[in-house]
Amino acid sequence: MSAAVETEDTPVAPPRPGVLSRLLRDPGAAISLMLVILLIGAAVFAPLLAPTDPYDNDLTKAMQPPGSEGLPLGADAQGRDLITRLLFGLRVSLLMGFASVLAGGSIGALLGFLAAFYQRWLDGPIMRVMDMLLSFPAILVGLAIAAIFGPGILSVVIALSVATVPLMARIVRGSALVVMRLDYIEAARATGMTDARLIFRHLAPNCLSAIFVFVTLRFGQVILLGSALSFLGLGAQPPIPELGAMASEGRNFLFFAPHIAVIPCVVIFTIVLAFNVLGDALRDALDPRLRF
Amino acid sequence: MSEPLLDVTGLAKHYPVREGLILAKQVGTVRAVDGVSFSVKRGETLALVGESGCGKSTTARLVLRLIEPSAGTIRFEGADVTRITGAAQRAMRRRMQIVFQDPYASLNPRLTVADTIAEPMAVHGIGDAASRRKRVEELLSLVGLRSFHAQRYPHEFSGGQRQRIGIARALSVQPDLVVCDEPVSALDVSIQAQVVNLLKDLQRRFGLAYLFIAHDLAVVKHVADRVAVMYLGQIVEIGNKADLFANPRHPYTRALLAAIPHPDPQRRGQVKPLGGDVPSPMNPPPGCRFHTRCPFAQDRCRSEAPALRPMADGHEAACHFAETLPPAGLDFAGGLSEAAARRLALYARARAA
Repeated sequence: MSAAVETEDTPVAPPRPGVLSRLLRDPGAAISLMLVILLIGAAVFAPLLAPTDPYDNDLTKAMQPPGSEGLPLGADAQGRDLITRLLFGLRVSLLMGFASVLAGGSIGALLGFLAAFYQRWLDGPIMRVMDMLLSFPAILVGLAIAAIFGPGILSVVIALSVATVPLMARIVRGSALVVMRLDYIEAARATGMTDARLIFRHLAPNCLSAIFVFVTLRFGQVILLGSALSFLGLGAQPPIPELGAMASEGRNFLFFAPHIAVIPCVVIFTIVLAFNVLGDALRDALDPRLRF
Repeated sequence: MSEPLLDVTGLAKHYPVREGLILAKQVGTVRAVDGVSFSVKRGETLALVGESGCGKSTTARLVLRLIEPSAGTIRFEGADVTRITGAAQRAMRRRMQIVFQDPYASLNPRLTVADTIAEPMAVHGIGDAASRRKRVEELLSLVGLRSFHAQRYPHEFSGGQRQRIGIARALSVQPDLVVCDEPVSALDVSIQAQVVNLLKDLQRRFGLAYLFIAHDLAVVKHVADRVAVMYLGQIVEIGNKADLFANPRHPYTRALLAAIPHPDPQRRGQVKPLGGDVPSPMNPPPGCRFHTRCPFAQDRCRSEAPALRPMADGHEAACHFAETLPPAGLDFAGGLSEAAARRLALYARARAA
């Protein structure tokens, strides 16, 4: 056959590195992955790791600085062990972040795909509703939802989800519109597949990089926003440890006992940074074009 | 005579042009494809040629219903498929596949070659995972690739290899008709020949019918059985390849054929290229659409649109004066001057020595 032209390749394809090993090639990604695992592990196993009960207060130990006897990170204004509070606070904060990014993100992504795919019918209606949502500040949404459901962690999650939906929808719609114009979408349509398969197998995977960047950035923002809502008294209620709430409790003592506010802030900072770096590296590792 | 595989009548696609921000009103219509009729028999290649923007690709997508036609009917094996939707349409898609122009854009970068080729089979529920894997290997060797290529991603291939993958994908569901939308125009000339030969080879083996969109007449001359020439959304001439190339009846076809570059210095200055531009499909000229550029245009051409009229033996042309035009201009095949012929003979002897 005249067309059987040999390709100048090695006869045996080299084994392909998996996503994980590609990810670990980047030292920044390896460190952030370790940090994320550490943070999640600490949150999951908080009850086992914590030296004391997070609600155990001992006013004689109030505001003890880090390094005091039996209190490696010191104690807060009520004399509660800061390590224990941090471990349990991490739990609440991470859970809040995950839940709201997951809920808001998936609803937003779905709406974005629908708007782009059925541009003719759904784009206008969906995106105008998103614009409406976008015009409310997250804090205002939080206030409204706290007024309906009462203040608490659930209200914060709902508020942050609602605030995440329009952002995700906009970003997904934007990148989906670009992908929709490419030939392989038309090729997929020409094979006669259903719209659902077309969206989830061809459209969505090619929008992943935008989604990944947004999710990781948003995760950091959401944790900060959740902390802000807790600070306003709409989120985690006082005895419950939450990183943002802990930081805001500590601000009254910033001059006498800076560790009470600074340590939770450092933890928040670490979470946000680790997730951002990891998200970036994960996006690259998942893109087959960047594999070699 | 056997029934044609694909029969298209009066196919049209009109795009409304709207103006105004809030109260958009229609200010015009782009007649991208305006009443095109043709048929393709089983195992036959019909080439659709014409310059950029004449509606070739739109016609191809209309046939596949990737774009909804504004008017006309598409019959496949005698059944009207112009308006079918849903599951019936998806089942229909198995019979008609497409090979795209740009091999860099037509493969999903997130799917391996095996997934890309197996997907149409999975969609139509052909075989199980294991048999599909075997079929993928068969298809890869059929298009001149190796089985270990299956686990690679599109970006690891060259343009010609990707086009082969695209062809394997189209063939995976054993279609009857393959629409080739300029399948080789994005490739290097040496690769073009390989891919064109592959397509011809596959046609012989599987009895495929091709609707072959092209603007390169050399490729068309090589692959086509019949040729349809389009100008401004309409077919101006259609006929058997040999007949059409030897005896073009429409002035536009003549201009196209005369524009083929020939390595013949004697020809310089003898070919008059067409003047002017293609008129806007939003506002096609009255009468014959070609009269603004036609060297033979008469008053009648400016007012009366010519229909496709049968000439001899399946050859049709849309020109009022198709029969009375001067014989197709310059015959370059034997047009070498005596001096040039002598010199060429000299070269040939020198090379042989």
